[in-house]
Amino acid sequence: MELKYVGQSYERKDAVKKVTGEAEYVDDIRLPRMLYAWCVRSPYAHARILSIDTSEAEKLPGVKCVITGDEYPNRAGLYLEDRYFMAKIGDTAKYMGEAVAAVAADTPEIARQACDLIKVEYEELPGVINAVDAMKPDAPLIHPDLHTYKVAPIFYPEKGTNISHHYVLRKGDAEKGFAEADYVFENSFYIPHVQHVPLEPHAAIAKYDTDGKLTVWASCQSPYAVRQALSVAFAMPLNKIRVISPTVGGGFGSKAGTTLEGIVIPLAKRCKGRPVKLLYTREDEFVNAYVRQGMHARIKAGVGKDGKIIALHNEFIWDGGAYTEYGVNITKAGGWASAGPYDIDNVWTDSYCVYTNHPVGGPYRGFGMCEIHFAIEQNMDIIAEKVGISPVEIRRLNGIKPGGYTGMGERMDVAGLMDCIDQVVKEIEYDKPCQPAGPHKIRAKGIAAGWKSPSMPTNAGSSAIIRMNEDGTFFLMSSGQEIGQGAATVLVQIAAEVLSVSPDKITFCSGDTDHTPYEWQTVASRTTYCAGNAVKLAAEDLVDKVLDLAQIKMGVVKRDLEFRDGYVAHKIYPERKLPISDFALGVSFNDGSGYGGPAIGVGSFTLENNINTDKKTGIAKHHPAAFWTMGMNGCEIEIDTDTGACKVLKMVSCFDAGKVINPTLFAAQSEGAMVQALGTALFEELKLQNGRVLNKSFVDYKIPTADDAPELIVKYVEHAEPTGPYGARGVGEPLMVPGAPCIANAIYNAIGVRFHRMPITSEDILKALKEKKLKQ
Amino acid sequence: MKEFQYLRPETVEEAVALRCEHEGRSVLLNGGTDIVIQLRERLIAPEFVIDIKHIPGLNQITFSKEEGLYIGACVTMNDISDNEDVRKYYPFLSEAAHSVGSKQVRNRATLVGNIVNASPLCDTGTPLYVCEANICIVGKEGKREIPITEFITFVRKTVLKPDEIVVGVKVPYIEGAKGIFTKISRRKEVDLATICGTVLKIGDNYRMAFGAVAPTPIRLPETESLLQEKKLTPELIDEAAKHACTEVSPISDIRASKEYRLDVVEVTVRRSLEQLA
Repeated sequence: MELKYVGQSYERKDAVKKVTGEAEYVDDIRLPRMLYAWCVRSPYAHARILSIDTSEAEKLPGVKCVITGDEYPNRAGLYLEDRYFMAKIGDTAKYMGEAVAAVAADTPEIARQACDLIKVEYEELPGVINAVDAMKPDAPLIHPDLHTYKVAPIFYPEKGTNISHHYVLRKGDAEKGFAEADYVFENSFYIPHVQHVPLEPHAAIAKYDTDGKLTVWASCQSPYAVRQALSVAFAMPLNKIRVISPTVGGGFGSKAGTTLEGIVIPLAKRCKGRPVKLLYTREDEFVNAYVRQGMHARIKAGVGKDGKIIALHNEFIWDGGAYTEYGVNITKAGGWASAGPYDIDNVWTDSYCVYTNHPVGGPYRGFGMCEIHFAIEQNMDIIAEKVGISPVEIRRLNGIKPGGYTGMGERMDVAGLMDCIDQVVKEIEYDKPCQPAGPHKIRAKGIAAGWKSPSMPTNAGSSAIIRMNEDGTFFLMSSGQEIGQGAATVLVQIAAEVLSVSPDKITFCSGDTDHTPYEWQTVASRTTYCAGNAVKLAAEDLVDKVLDLAQIKMGVVKRDLEFRDGYVAHKIYPERKLPISDFALGVSFNDGSGYGGPAIGVGSFTLENNINTDKKTGIAKHHPAAFWTMGMNGCEIEIDTDTGACKVLKMVSCFDAGKVINPTLFAAQSEGAMVQALGTALFEELKLQNGRVLNKSFVDYKIPTADDAPELIVKYVEHAEPTGPYGARGVGEPLMVPGAPCIANAIYNAIGVRFHRMPITSEDILKALKEKKLKQ
Repeated sequence: MKEFQYLRPETVEEAVALRCEHEGRSVLLNGGTDIVIQLRERLIAPEFVIDIKHIPGLNQITFSKEEGLYIGACVTMNDISDNEDVRKYYPFLSEAAHSVGSKQVRNRATLVGNIVNASPLCDTGTPLYVCEANICIVGKEGKREIPITEFITFVRKTVLKPDEIVVGVKVPYIEGAKGIFTKISRRKEVDLATICGTVLKIGDNYRMAFGAVAPTPIRLPETESLLQEKKLTPELIDEAAKHACTEVSPISDIRASKEYRLDVVEVTVRRSLEQLA
């Protein structure tokens, strides 16, 4: 089938508004009589709140209302209901920065001054600041009542411990595999906490009407998930909560859950009719939004003489922070994918989600994959060198191929990894030596592979509505959110393809739980796939309904009609056609009568036969993952041996996208992913000391600038995803997965030092070079 | 931030009078790139903010071989880095000014503000130290000029009295001098210096100054005298680079360890001298 609109580089739907500053973000919304919130936050990583005296704050002129944790009847959380939105009196504050009281006042300044007047009495408790220590039997318990929390049935908290989920994978017979192996290698890695740093910090406004209706404007990725969490936390029916997500200035996962929305709602409730706004500062972003969890990885690999991996034994310990309502699923995702994109018969994995008194861990682009692949992909290079084959060969040998099996025992009918390896090896000229560098400079290349599947509930749903206007233009309504990734444009292109009209004729409407239809979440690189399927179904539904009417009007049997370029046209006699707009309001006849009514299409999508894995073995009875997106990165770097500075000169990406809906947007996602991965490889780390974030601003938390971006080469292959719209699978997150280990492998190839920890800073490299010199 | 009164004097005299009137309760606002952050982080809570940006004449930058370079208090980093005389006669100062923050920050930030802020890592400090610049001050007692090395006394401390204002900096012109500015930072753009330094060659004599290696920017007199009137050889350069490390006393902090700072001071001296040789 020839495609007209899918596969074309249409300009972003939101480009002009964003570039001109017209796009409206939450902070741009200024409602009449609006109040501003500020929070009192715990100065301790772990402390019991003995009492809170708000009386002085309440007296300050301009203060409208002060709240504490007493306002929260229920715990909430996406997969594990383990958090109130504010620590309660008598209970404990579980990380340094957790909200313990909040104020709404006429100005942010007054609210902040009022917070200074709130007296909180704490009893400091011993903290747990290392996930490995937190698993020890004598570790202080952060959530003593963990076993009473409501939890989704696929997660297994361990009573009386800090372990909120223990994911188990037992494929084949690992013990036997190790016995058969010629070599056994064991390596450990550590991945520190990082932050998403979206351009727009979190922001929320809540307004509570006298009739009991709550409206929340939130910079969020998933208005329906926010609505659900708020409904649970505040024991409110869903039809009384409206969540609106206007333009979102980037999320990368940090806006996937519910964070500050929970703080403004009780304030708004107490200040009936007056909206309350809370805007996070950049400092808040680093501490009080979500961070990427830290992770300790240990990989034992049993390998044959030829480099074939026979058995794997993985242990991943995730530093989940104070609340792991979301982190439990990252732990699961990490366990799921723990074999990497490789076909390995015997896999034994334990993946633990552990509470610590650190900032709250949450979803971050890659959802555990960037972390585990930093270990997996360096491990592959280590094994290759020991066995005496090249990093390319070991990946070709073990890499998953069509007909192969994943770590969970799923058969992969489509797998484009080998093609991606070929493309990257060619583009980076992996077999050729680097051009000579200047004095005190060393150049080298590296590669790494990676994969990811959406780690979403197996029954996660998407829906879409398409309405035809009287002139044959359309409104496409979906709550698949545009968060910068290009969803608005891609979803419109999918609709345009079915409707055979130019994307200019379709307006995308999103982000309003009262008016745009249900979407589980804009996460998991699932929007093009899940929301895309719903959009395609909605468009097909509209076409079907219109053709029902058209066959009456045109006297042509329906099967011979189609939508073509704005017309309902005869497939065999193309001159027999009527504009689609003739059917926008139904069909009308010569006697003045009409039939059918306005054209509207609906589509609902849930992936069928997507089944949970077995609790005891983690093995899949069928497909637990909607799809796997896999690919590879290559890079060339240059190290200054005097200063340790590592400059990435070039990066190449090639992924199997199934079908690229919009090549320009795909390239932008690929480039962004590589640069973001570069940041984590070389610069980024939340420096934590006894639970305190030492670098909670851009002064000391560095992300790459344009100057750090190397030459970026984007490639893709297209092996269609059988269940994806036009064969597409999600790409946004997977594209970032191999970047950091790719750079780490290149650094090893340059200086012969293996770094088992990110980021690899100039200082780390120089220190390693000096130590190496001393040994020689 | 706390509410404050914003004052905008039109002359230096008026500004000094306001400083006297509100002694201890006011801050001077110039480019604002340090002050606004301090206000936001509540490190300062002044009752009065005195904005000197609108005082005529303070944004002047002039040069002559006889008088040297004069940089008024309100001259921005971009004005300095782009100035033709600065680029021709003090290229190392131009580079130092260019290395501050981002383009947007440099549109606001001033060199005088950078010096008055007296951070040990101030990017424009070391070029002025090697040139032996003088700070021009006006106060209720009148005018005075003091060498920059005496002006900055400790971390964020200067000899400036509460009634005084720095109106400019004089940078002597040194015939035939060649200098190299180096900034080592975690990230090349928009970062603070892990260390920064300037090495100046005047004939067969050398001056060098480093930042972020002591409570103030410092000169390295021993290393300078080690090189005095000598032709540079690889051995001498090596000796000087190693000796430079003994003259600095960096600390470990969130940006780098003491050891790394010492390593890159050595590298900076070596590479600068190699380039000047």
